[in-house]
Amino acid sequence: MTQPIVDVQKLSHVYMQGTPLSHVALNEVSLQVQAGECLAIIGHTGSGKSTLIQHFNGLIRPQSGKVIVNGMDVSQPKIDIRSLRRQVGLVFQNPEDQLFEKLVGDDVAYGPFKMGLPLEEVKNRVKWAMDLVGLNFQEMKDRPTYALSGGQKRKVALAGVLSLQPKVLVLDEPTAGLDPRSRLELLGRIRRLNREEGLTVIFVSHNMEEVSQLADRVYVMANGKAVCEGTPRQIFGNQELLREHHIGTPESVDILYRLRERGYDINPGAFLPEETACEILKLIQR
Amino acid sequence: MSAEFELTRNITIGQYLPTASVVHRLDPRFKLGAFAILIVAIAICNTYVGNLFALAVCLWLFQVSKIPLHYGISGIKPAIPFIIILAIMQLLFYGEIANGGTVYFQYGIISISSESIRLVIVSAMRFVEVIFLSSVLTLSTSTTELTHGMERLLGPLEKVKFPVHAFALIITIAIRFVPTFAMEMEKMMKAQASRGADFGTGEWWRIVQRTKDMFPIIIPLFNVALSRAEDLILAMEARCYMPGASRTRYTQYKAKGIDYAALGASVVISVVMLGIPW
Repeated sequence: MTQPIVDVQKLSHVYMQGTPLSHVALNEVSLQVQAGECLAIIGHTGSGKSTLIQHFNGLIRPQSGKVIVNGMDVSQPKIDIRSLRRQVGLVFQNPEDQLFEKLVGDDVAYGPFKMGLPLEEVKNRVKWAMDLVGLNFQEMKDRPTYALSGGQKRKVALAGVLSLQPKVLVLDEPTAGLDPRSRLELLGRIRRLNREEGLTVIFVSHNMEEVSQLADRVYVMANGKAVCEGTPRQIFGNQELLREHHIGTPESVDILYRLRERGYDINPGAFLPEETACEILKLIQR
Repeated sequence: MSAEFELTRNITIGQYLPTASVVHRLDPRFKLGAFAILIVAIAICNTYVGNLFALAVCLWLFQVSKIPLHYGISGIKPAIPFIIILAIMQLLFYGEIANGGTVYFQYGIISISSESIRLVIVSAMRFVEVIFLSSVLTLSTSTTELTHGMERLLGPLEKVKFPVHAFALIITIAIRFVPTFAMEMEKMMKAQASRGADFGTGEWWRIVQRTKDMFPIIIPLFNVALSRAEDLILAMEARCYMPGASRTRYTQYKAKGIDYAALGASVVISVVMLGIPW
């Protein structure tokens, strides 16, 4: 086993510490992510997912426990925090809110400019990042940001983070609030970033279809604790686990379990839409 | 360092600490009235002992309302620079105006006398007392209660065509959205920091640069504020809000003995405070 690119050991975090309103957000969470992996973090609202991912690029420093990202110990106050934030690109929920430049190209170029790169390099990076999210550089760079659709704005925001050329991409509910078509497209882009560009992708999601189709590994959180982890097949194929932790399931998994309850012999681990279709076809042809 | 972006923690406006004490249960109209009387008395009182007494009353109020004192103290911290600057100005330049007493030092317009020293100490004490009082008031009264109370107290102004209800609504909305925008701002700072922005790290004399550093937060924040305002208008209109329409109230306030007692106590305290001759 190689050294994980993100290594979280017994991380705890308390909000508003020392006041009557203090609230435990994370409780001894441990988590390892290997380079090149695509990891999904799921859990109900308030389970600590957002707090956890903000540790990955040092927006929150560990109160206790350790976070080591690509060999950098985030709890050390002296580490180069800007370099860390360049290596771990964090995309917040509804990132389209964060656009502030008038033109698309300028907004994507903000990060590379802040790094002090020469103009030519900035331009190359902007072009590269816009290509990756599916925005035509020539056509889109001089468009005003306020005239874009919601889906396009989100792509611009994503490009703005990608232009830093991070090694790890962390996304908080990347497709929330998008229409089905933009959702599918964005998912495809993220998959390609992971499979073709070799980016390590960590994403938080409430959409189980997304999780089942995109993730190599799923990490389930509840009440600030890590309750279980495994491949989508292990998680969705284990009904007791799903019931115990109130994990939602993709529709395909629902169908498979319902068929099994009616006494059909079916493999509930076959949750990808094509596999589910195959299983049902087998039943019909029997 | 870990609290780098925790803005919401530092905002005490609109923070309410439900400890269900006597002070919390007071009728907001009477509570506002009593606090207003105390603040006026503090503003007038210029004796050492009177102010010491007022300080003692403030500490007693914290005790009675079961609010930890450090809430009041954390309210004073941001005001310390103002208190110090005010004190220096008064000490140096008020000797002429606050005449009387012995003059200890005089040079040009700078003059320090026993009266100006008294003024410095008394105004610093007043500052602390007013902050303590307003902390107790806001920590023991929810914002809805506060604005209801204010609306009722301003009620008579309706007669001179003062838009009391609209005024109260504006204040309610403004206070209601302070924590919301603090959270938005926190999120925006984090998002931009993730893209390589840094705030307040440049040298302080490069004001233009430091102002420019804030653009990535300010501009999106304005956008968010405007779209929230539009949402709010829609939500209000969807519930048939009409400006100036006459409406009944969900909460009815009825004064009890304790409310009159509180008002009475504030008058007595004020009289004692102003009556102390030293």
